[in-house]
Amino acid sequence: MKIEYQTFVRQFKDLKEGKQHLFVKDLTPGPRKYDTKHVLAEISSNIEKFPDGDILRIRSESGVLLPQPWVIKILQELPESVPGHPWEDVYKAIKKV
Amino acid sequence: MPFQDHRDFIETLKKTGDVIEVTQEVDWDLEAGAIGRRMYEMGGPSTWFKKVKDYPEGFTLYNGSLGTWRRVAISMGLPPETPVREIYRTYEERLEKPIDPIIVNKKKAPCKENILLGDQVDLYRFPAPMVHEGDGGRYIGTWDLVVTKDPETGWTNWGMYRFMVHNKRWLAGWPQPTSQLAHQMKKYYLPRNEPMPVALVIGADPIAHMVATAPFRLEEDEAKFAGALRKEPIELVKCETCDLLVPAHSEIVIEGEILTDQIVPDGPFGEYPGYRSGTMAEGVGFRVKAITYRNNPILTMIALGVPIDDSSIAAALTAGIAMKRGLKHRGVPVVDVYVPPEGVTHLIYVSVKNGGAGVTKEVLDFFTARRVMVSKVIVLDEDIDVFDNGQVLHAFATKCHPGRGIVVEHYEGRSNSLTPCYSPKERERLKGASVAFDATWPPEWPAEIIPIKASFKTIYSKEIQEKVIQNWKSYGFK
Repeated sequence: MKIEYQTFVRQFKDLKEGKQHLFVKDLTPGPRKYDTKHVLAEISSNIEKFPDGDILRIRSESGVLLPQPWVIKILQELPESVPGHPWEDVYKAIKKV
Repeated sequence: MPFQDHRDFIETLKKTGDVIEVTQEVDWDLEAGAIGRRMYEMGGPSTWFKKVKDYPEGFTLYNGSLGTWRRVAISMGLPPETPVREIYRTYEERLEKPIDPIIVNKKKAPCKENILLGDQVDLYRFPAPMVHEGDGGRYIGTWDLVVTKDPETGWTNWGMYRFMVHNKRWLAGWPQPTSQLAHQMKKYYLPRNEPMPVALVIGADPIAHMVATAPFRLEEDEAKFAGALRKEPIELVKCETCDLLVPAHSEIVIEGEILTDQIVPDGPFGEYPGYRSGTMAEGVGFRVKAITYRNNPILTMIALGVPIDDSSIAAALTAGIAMKRGLKHRGVPVVDVYVPPEGVTHLIYVSVKNGGAGVTKEVLDFFTARRVMVSKVIVLDEDIDVFDNGQVLHAFATKCHPGRGIVVEHYEGRSNSLTPCYSPKERERLKGASVAFDATWPPEWPAEIIPIKASFKTIYSKEIQEKVIQNWKSYGFK
C-alpha cells in the first residue's frame, strides 16, 4: 500500500526533480493525518521512475492542487525543524541544510 | 454576572437559540470546517460538535462563538437584539475603567485538571480541525489567545494568531511580522537569541478572545481590558513551565517557546480577508513543553473566511473603538468610526467634525503611521450615520470628488501581507498603499453654496415636518 504525502511550493515550477529536502505531510487517514516530516527524498513527475516509491501531492502557495501527483522515495528523515530565524523564508532556509 | 468560561457562555446560547449541538459524528478533517463555514454564510447559530471522528467522547469542537452581533451582545451581558451602535457605545464606555486581573491558585484553575509534561505532550490528543481543503495543515489555533511577555517592562500581550500542528510537539504559526508578538520578539528575544515563552490559550471566556483581537497600543495589557468589559476581574493562573499568566478557566493551554534559531513551515491558510492568498512558509516555530486542559475539553475554532464570521465581527468592534481612541489621541475631530464586517478591517468609515482635505489627510496619516492593516478609509461629515451602509454609500457616491477627493499613501515594510490584491513581490517586501476618500464638504465653501441634502429631515422646515407627521394617519397612511 503506497503512502500519500503532500508538499507545498510557492509555484509549481519551483519544484525540481531529483534529490530534495522537503517538508511533507503524511496523508494516512487517522488522528495523526497531516503530520509533518522533514525529509531528504528523491522525487519525480514520472511516477514510473520509482516503482517502490510513494505518492506526492503538490499544492501551490494558495493551496491549488497540481492535477497529477509526483512520486516520492524518502531516503532519510531529518530533524523536524531547520535552522533559521522567525519570519525567514523556510524554502531559503532549507536550501542551506 | 459575566461569563467565567466558554461553558457557561454556551449554556446561555442554548437558552437564546444561538447554538446547535451536533451529536452525529463529524470528521475533524474538513467536515467540521465546511459545516461551520456554511453556517456563517447562512447567518446561523454557533455549532458544537459533540462527537468527533477519531477522538474519544468528551473531546469536542465548537465553532462560531462570536459569529453574529447577537452573540457579541450576549457575551457582553446585553440583550441579544442590542443594536450595533449600542454595542459599540457600551464597549467604548466600559474600556474607560480597566480592572486588574486576579491571580488564582492552581487548585482553583480548571485548566489544570489535566497536565501533560515533557514526553507526555502530544498535540494529536486534540481534534485540531483541517478547516479548509488545501490548507497547509490542521489549525489548532484559530479562535485562540496567545500570551507573550516583554521581560524588561513586564508588559503581557494577548493576541489572536493562527497556529498549525506541525507534529506531536511542534506548532507552526504566523503572527504577522508587524504584530505586537513580533515587536516583543524583535525587541528582546531575537537580539539575545533566547527562546520566547508563549502560551496558546483555547476556549477562555468569550470576552478574553474578543479582547485578543483588539489592537491596543504597545504596553497595554489586554487582561485589564477583559476585566473592564466583563466589569469583573478575569482570573489568571501561572503556567507550568514559565511565568506567563493565562485565563484560569480556559479549556486548553499549550505552553512552550518560540525559537529564535529554528523554523518550520506554516500555511497557507484561508484567512480573515476571505481568501487563502499565499502567506506561507515565513512564520515561527513553537516547541511545546506542556499542555494543560479541562476534563472534556472544548476546542474552540473558527472556519475563517468570507465575512461575516467571528473574526470580522470581533475586529469590527475592537478595531473600530481602538481606531476612534487613536484618532482622538492624535487630535483628529473624530465623531464615530465603524468597521463594517463585510470590509474585513480593510475598509473603514470615519465621521468627523469640520472635514475637508486636511482632515482626510490626517485620518490617513493615522492609519498608515505604523503597521498598516487598513487599505481604504471613507471620511464623512458628522451628519452621516456611519453604522448605516446606505447613508455611507450615498455620501461616498455623491460627495467624494473623483479627482481631488482621493488621497493615496504608499509605504514599504509595514503593509498587511494578507491583503489579497497585493502581488507576491509586494507581500514579500510588505509593500502597500492605503487610500482615503474624502466624502466631506470642503470647509472653505461658504455655507450658502453647500448642497442641501434632499431628505425629509434636511430639506423641509421643522413646521412642515411636524405638520406632515401629525397628519400622517389622517392622510390615510398607516
